[in-house]
Order: sequence, then structure tokens, then C-alpha cells
Amino acid sequence: MLCHDPGCLRLPEKRPRSQSAAVAAAPALLPGCWLRPPGAGMLDDECGWSVSFAGCGFLGVYHIGAATCLQERAPRILRDARRIYGASAGALTGAVLVGGGSLAESCADVLVLAKEARKRNLGPLHPSFNIMKIIRDGLIKNLPENTHQLASGKLCISLTRVSDGSNVLVSDFNSKEEIIQALVCSAFVPIYCGLIPPSFRGVRYVDGGISDNLPHHASKNTITVSPFSGECDICPKSNSANFHEVNLTNTSIQFSLGNLYRLTQALFPPEPKVLGELCEQGYSDALRFLKENGILNESIYVDLPLAKRNPQDLINYPKFTKKKNMPGNNTEEKMANMGKFNDQLKQNMWPLDERIVETLPPKLRKALQEACKEKCGFYAQLSKLLPVRVMSYLMLPYTLPVESAYSVALRVVDWFPDIPDDVRWMQGQVYRIVGTVCSQARNKLLRACSKEGFGSLRKCHTIPPTIELHSTCCCLKIPHCSADLESWLWDFPSCTDLTGKQVSASKEKLSESDSHLNCFTNSEESGMEMDFDSSSENSFQTASED
Amino acid sequence: MAGAAAFALSLAVLPAASQSPAAGGRHACDMSDSETASEGSGWLSSWLPAWCPTSLPHLKDAEEKILKRITSTYSKQYVYISNGNKIWTLTFSQDLSLKTPLILLHGFGGGVGLWALNFEDLCENRTVYAIDLLGFGRSSRPHFDTDAEEAENQFVESIEEWRQAVGLDKMIFLGHNLGGFLAAAYSLKYPSRVKHLILVEPWGFPERPDNEQERPIPIWIKALGAMLSPFNPLAGLRLAGPFGLSLVQRLRPDFKRKYSSMFDDNTVAEYIYHCNVQSPSGETAFKNMTIPYGWAKRPMLQRISLMDQDIPITVIYGARSCIDGNSGSTIQSLRPKSYVKTIAILGAGHYVYADQPEDFNQKVKEICDSVD
Repeated sequence: MLCHDPGCLRLPEKRPRSQSAAVAAAPALLPGCWLRPPGAGMLDDECGWSVSFAGCGFLGVYHIGAATCLQERAPRILRDARRIYGASAGALTGAVLVGGGSLAESCADVLVLAKEARKRNLGPLHPSFNIMKIIRDGLIKNLPENTHQLASGKLCISLTRVSDGSNVLVSDFNSKEEIIQALVCSAFVPIYCGLIPPSFRGVRYVDGGISDNLPHHASKNTITVSPFSGECDICPKSNSANFHEVNLTNTSIQFSLGNLYRLTQALFPPEPKVLGELCEQGYSDALRFLKENGILNESIYVDLPLAKRNPQDLINYPKFTKKKNMPGNNTEEKMANMGKFNDQLKQNMWPLDERIVETLPPKLRKALQEACKEKCGFYAQLSKLLPVRVMSYLMLPYTLPVESAYSVALRVVDWFPDIPDDVRWMQGQVYRIVGTVCSQARNKLLRACSKEGFGSLRKCHTIPPTIELHSTCCCLKIPHCSADLESWLWDFPSCTDLTGKQVSASKEKLSESDSHLNCFTNSEESGMEMDFDSSSENSFQTASED
Repeated sequence: MAGAAAFALSLAVLPAASQSPAAGGRHACDMSDSETASEGSGWLSSWLPAWCPTSLPHLKDAEEKILKRITSTYSKQYVYISNGNKIWTLTFSQDLSLKTPLILLHGFGGGVGLWALNFEDLCENRTVYAIDLLGFGRSSRPHFDTDAEEAENQFVESIEEWRQAVGLDKMIFLGHNLGGFLAAAYSLKYPSRVKHLILVEPWGFPERPDNEQERPIPIWIKALGAMLSPFNPLAGLRLAGPFGLSLVQRLRPDFKRKYSSMFDDNTVAEYIYHCNVQSPSGETAFKNMTIPYGWAKRPMLQRISLMDQDIPITVIYGARSCIDGNSGSTIQSLRPKSYVKTIAILGAGHYVYADQPEDFNQKVKEICDSVD
């Protein structure tokens, strides 16, 4: 089922195009106005366009649907794109696109993965579900040997460096193994996928979505693709008119029930059927994008039953003409193939909605169809019965330890070659944590000392009530305002530098203690943007003594 | 339930507030120069400001921080209208009195400060007025009628009274989001005052489609939606109290990026925060004008055909926005004899004027120049 299909590989002579060629070709390529708005003073215009795929876990099938559409209906968009950016699932799609792997196969792989994740009672959290291994094996199988040559300079993978949490875009690769490693890093959701982050060229990285989920989205020449409805070029159209949105590491996510549902599906996959629908949605959203921008001018056409889907679409895309007699030699071949596929599909029982059958290209359809097929065996039927399922949940406390032990053993065997590296890294981490704790403790101690000194001074000079205290962001009018609470609780991750600042601030105050009354009167000049926590404690004392 | 949570949380702050007699005095003194904001009375108000670290002076400071960066000369003042309400107005006046002035109406939850990237270009050769809508920003926050039509009318009348007070004859209206809706509503009622209507990502135009879900949504998500729908859209922000500002910064880091050419800190997030955690008057009115989720009770597309045929309309939308950009073509089909133009700004989302300010300003200037 997962054999390599040469028909889906792009011909090598089509692919390598130097960037200058792409630049020269850009104006002629896309007749629509979207790339070159008149009067746009962007230098980026001269450099062509990019495509950026958002990270989205299992919703990556949406990208596959969208990419299939772009590949079929306007192949130049992907072929001549200057860069293809991606994070996590988006990077995987990007790699398949750039490497020329088969999208249909990847789609099938994702669905198989989703089924695998759903098979167990604990879903993807079950210890025997080793997602990283499945992804890696899938990539090794699905990417051609020269992927790194094709991808270097074109594919940009978003990674999050573990040491400082900053975003890194990787775009040059020396071997297929390296590109796979980068992809694995980009897909590694901490805790969900494992505890020890993978490394790429000796540096530990995790999921790119944590720092930048939609790389390079700010440029207007980037075509952004995201399965969450929001502010993207290709994204599902939501049926809510809500303009409130959340912006999670550059991915804009509209406040809507549909998006909430999608968020829950990103790591805990729904049934293959739902994923299939998502794939179809990606396809039709990409098609809508192409149509709205007038880029839909090549490749084969099938009559699209979009009008059936909802009445609004009917207004937008009034009529689709059949263009079956396109010039070009491989078109007819494709049409013949398609006919063959269609015949095959008609014979099979189709578990998905009919509209998907009609919209998606045949290869993708076939992949989806096979993945969606329910097992018909006796065991499969039996395991679906309610009592059996209840039983399996009840048995969980007994079966889980055994299964866990088995899968842990398997993982340890897999882990063998990496053990020295990982152990060294863990050691380093432990040292770092211990060091941080020590330095923080020292800082705290220092601060306590400085507070004592300051506190006694403060008591001598109670602030006159008429003096207005200003601060940039917090309310000082009520000295124990709840703003303190915020700096206490909310900013805990950055406590290291916070404490550092506080220490330096209090040192300053100590040295300027003579003139600290001045500091209050000239509160506009940052004098009062000092540490809230220490001052509030002090003012508690002051107030009670008053 | 939410109220109870807020109360419980605020208890932690209450003793602190009561220990400082000076605080109340200072607070009152701040309020005296900003009058109208009708706070609840009694013990409730004594801890309310403590829970949300905001006040009108905070908003004023935040706004001033934004306006400080504007190099063009402008004046700012309150324009007094009926019922003791006042409208906060920014005026970028030019001597060319012959040219029709441009009025900027901000969207939901915004204020005049959000046009910071646009003032300088737009006021090059005509007078530009930017106002805080009634119930938003630094304008009065009166009680709006709970009826959608009545609330809309209150908004429209406030704009008309403002116009009379300023003494303008004809105007070019530019409205973003809710401002677009109100500009259209105004043009319906007072067509003789409107020379050109520019709708930027307008809210409330299409009707809510029939409840035909594309994908079935699980019950628990629907229940969650139903549970949240009686609350004001930004109630969570006020409920978050002292965490509200961080909430804005964390949930909308894109605002920092949008305005990064002007501010490299969180000025804009602060401004938005202080705009929206004051007593929710315009916000409540907006909520009463909507049906879940986010659709207008009285969609403008149903009425737009009644608009004076001589008023030209330009619809500007961001190509990436999730608000449907097709309103423009629908308006065109509903007003076959009138001028309707749709402009898409590439790479821009809902906040078109902040996402791609150069493109936006240029387009708006072109439109204004076409008027006179």
C-alpha cells in the first residue's frame, strides 16, 4: 500500500531552478494582482513569494489537502516558491513537497498514525505509542535519497532551541539523515512525544510551534496555510462572524467553537473520517484561494461540486466550466488515469461523504478511502461492542504495567545508540538547574538584606498622601493594589532576570538612600518603576504603624 | 458564577485597600476631573478599581504615550453632546478648508490611538478627525438601551450631535469594524452629510447563515459556547483583573508587531487594555447588537439598498482577514446604480490599517482625492 509511486514524483528536470530564474519568471507567472499590489514599497516583491505551513499536529492532513490542490491546480506556486516554511506538521508537509514525495502516501501515513494513536485506551498517551519512531520511519521511507539537495535553501524548518527557547530556522542540509533529524526535532512536542528532546547537529531542539508556528508570516508575499480559521491566506472559513482572535506564536486563531474543536484534535486525533474531511477542506480552501486571486489558470480541471456545499459558495463561485481538452501531452494520460481510478472507486464501498469523493483528486481519494476502511473481521466487530470496551477500560490497571514494561524495554533498545549523548545532556541540565537555584537563593538572600536596610529608612519618611505616584503600567494610587499580585504570580518564568533587576534596583536605592525622598517626588523619572513586591511589603508595615 | 470568582479573588486585595485611607482620596481626586464615568456606589466600588489596575488617568497616560510619537500637529478635546455625554476628539486640522474632512471611526474595543500609524499620511492635505465612539475609549460611557435598534440609534445620534457641535457640513466617513457598521447606519439616516463612505473590514454586514454546520461539533464544546455567550465579549479581561494586561500581551502579541515601527514596547497593548477594562458601556451595547457568534442582529446588508444612491462606498478588507471580504460585491449587487468599490490589501488581517499602513494610507488618500 505504501509503495513508491513514480507518477507522483515530480520530474527532476522541472525542479531545480535557480533563484534568479524564479525572480525573472515571477511577474509573468501569476496574472492575478496579489503578488504585486500597485504602489507596494516592499523589497520582498523582487524576490518572489514563499509558502508557510503552520504547525498543527494531526491536523497536518489539512496541509496535505491544500498542498495537493496547489500542486495540481497551480504547480508553479510551490515549484517556484522562493522558500517553503514550516513548523512541525507543516515542516513535514513542506519536506514531502520539496523532496517530491507522494502527498497521497503521506496522507495515508498520517491516517494510519492517527488510527494507531486511537487504537489504545489512553490514545496517543499510551506508552506503547512511539510517535517519533513512526514519523521517522515514515520519513525515511517517503523521502527520496537526494531530498537534502532538493531541500537545501528552499525548505525552512522552524525549530525551538531548548537552551534559550529562541526560534531557529534551518534551511541547509547535508544529508537525508540531517533533514529527517531536523523534521523530527520540529515535530517533537515536549512531554507528549517524550522527555528527552532530540538533537540536530549537536544542539537540542523541540517543536518549532513553541516559538514560531507560522514562520515568515509577516511578509505579505508569504502564502500562509493554517488549519485554524483566522488570519491566513489558506484557512477554513469559519461560520462565525467573530473578529476576536488569539495569536499563538504567530498563528492567528479566531475565537470560534470550530477552532476550539480543532485545537483539541491537534494532538488527540479524531476518527480517520474526520481527518479525511479536513483534508478535503484543505483542498477546497486552497482552491478558493487560487480562485479569489485569479491564479487558477493551468492544469487539469474537474467539475467541482462546490456549489452543493453551502449556498454562500454558490454566490462566490457561480459556475465551473469543464476544461477537459487542455493542451499538453500528459494531461490526457492523467485524465485516463483518473477515469480508471474513478471506476475503481465506484466499485468500492465508500465510507466518507460523497462530496469528498467528487472533490479530491483520485490518488488522494484512494489513500483516504483505504485508511477509512473499517476492519470487518470478527475481532474488530467484537472489540467495538460496549461491554468489551468497558472491560478493556476496567482491565487497564492490570494491562497497562505489562504493556508499559514491554514498550519501555523496546524503547530502551532503540535508545541504545543515543544513551551517552542524552546522559551527558541530562547531566548538563541538572548542573544548570542546580546552578540557577543556587544563584537565585543567593539573590534572595541578598535582597532580604537590602530590604532590611531600606525598610528602616522608609519608616522615617512616610509618603505624604498628596504626592501622586505614577507608574507605567501598574496602579500605585492604592499602594497595595492588586497589580503587585500580577508581578508576583504571572511572571514566574522570568524570575531569574526579575530578581536580578530587583537586586540591582535595591542596591541603587541603598546607595541613594539619602535622596530617596526625591525619588518619590520625581516619580515620573522611572524612580517608581521599582520592585513592587518589596515596596508593598514595606508599605504594609508602614500603613499598620500609621 | 464568574462574579463570585471575582469576588473571592478580590477578597485577597480588599484588606490592602482598606488600610490605605490616602488611596481613596487620591482616587476620588482623579475621578473629579474625569467626571461622568458612573461607577457603582458603596462598598463594591471601593474594591473594584483595586482589582483591575486601571482608571481614566491610566487610559489618558497610555493614550498620551501613543500620541507622543505623532509628529503632525493636532489638537485634542472633548466635544460635548446631549445628556452630559462627551466625545473625545482628535483633530488634525489643515488650512485647506475647502476639502471635505475625513472622520475616522475606530472598531470594537479600540480608540483613537490605534490610528497612530495612519494620521500623518491621511492628514497631509485634508482635515482629519478621529473620535472615540460613545461608550469606548475616553468618551463617556453611558448606559445604552438593551434593544439593538435603540442602541444603534444612540450611537448614530451621538455622531450626529458631535457633527453639529464641531460644525461640519459634509464628511468622508471611514469606519473600521463596528465603526464601519455605525458609519453605514449614519449614512442611512443622514445621507446628506456623507460624501463618501469607506468601510474597512466592516462588522455586521452579512446575515447569520442558516445553522448548517460544516463539521459536527461535540456537545461539550457547544455547551461551553452556550455558557459563555451571555457574557460580554471582553468580560474575561476584566475578570482577570491584575492579570489582564499580561493576558492582552500574551494573547495578542501581534499588536506589538503591528506597531513595532513606532513602539518597541507594550504601549499599544497597555492602551487596548485600559480602553477595555473600564466600565463596559459600548461593549454591552455591542453585545446587545449581536447574536451568537458575532453576527449582527440587524445586518446591514438587509438595509444597504435603502441607502441614498448618490453615496459612493468603498470597502477595504485585508486579504487574510477572517471577516468575509465578499460583502463588497454583495453591496454592489444590492446597489446596482451606485458606486461601490472593493479593495483588498495583501498581507493584512482584520486590522488592515496597522498591518499594512503604507498600502492602506495610500488607498485611503486616493479615495479621498477622488472626492475633492
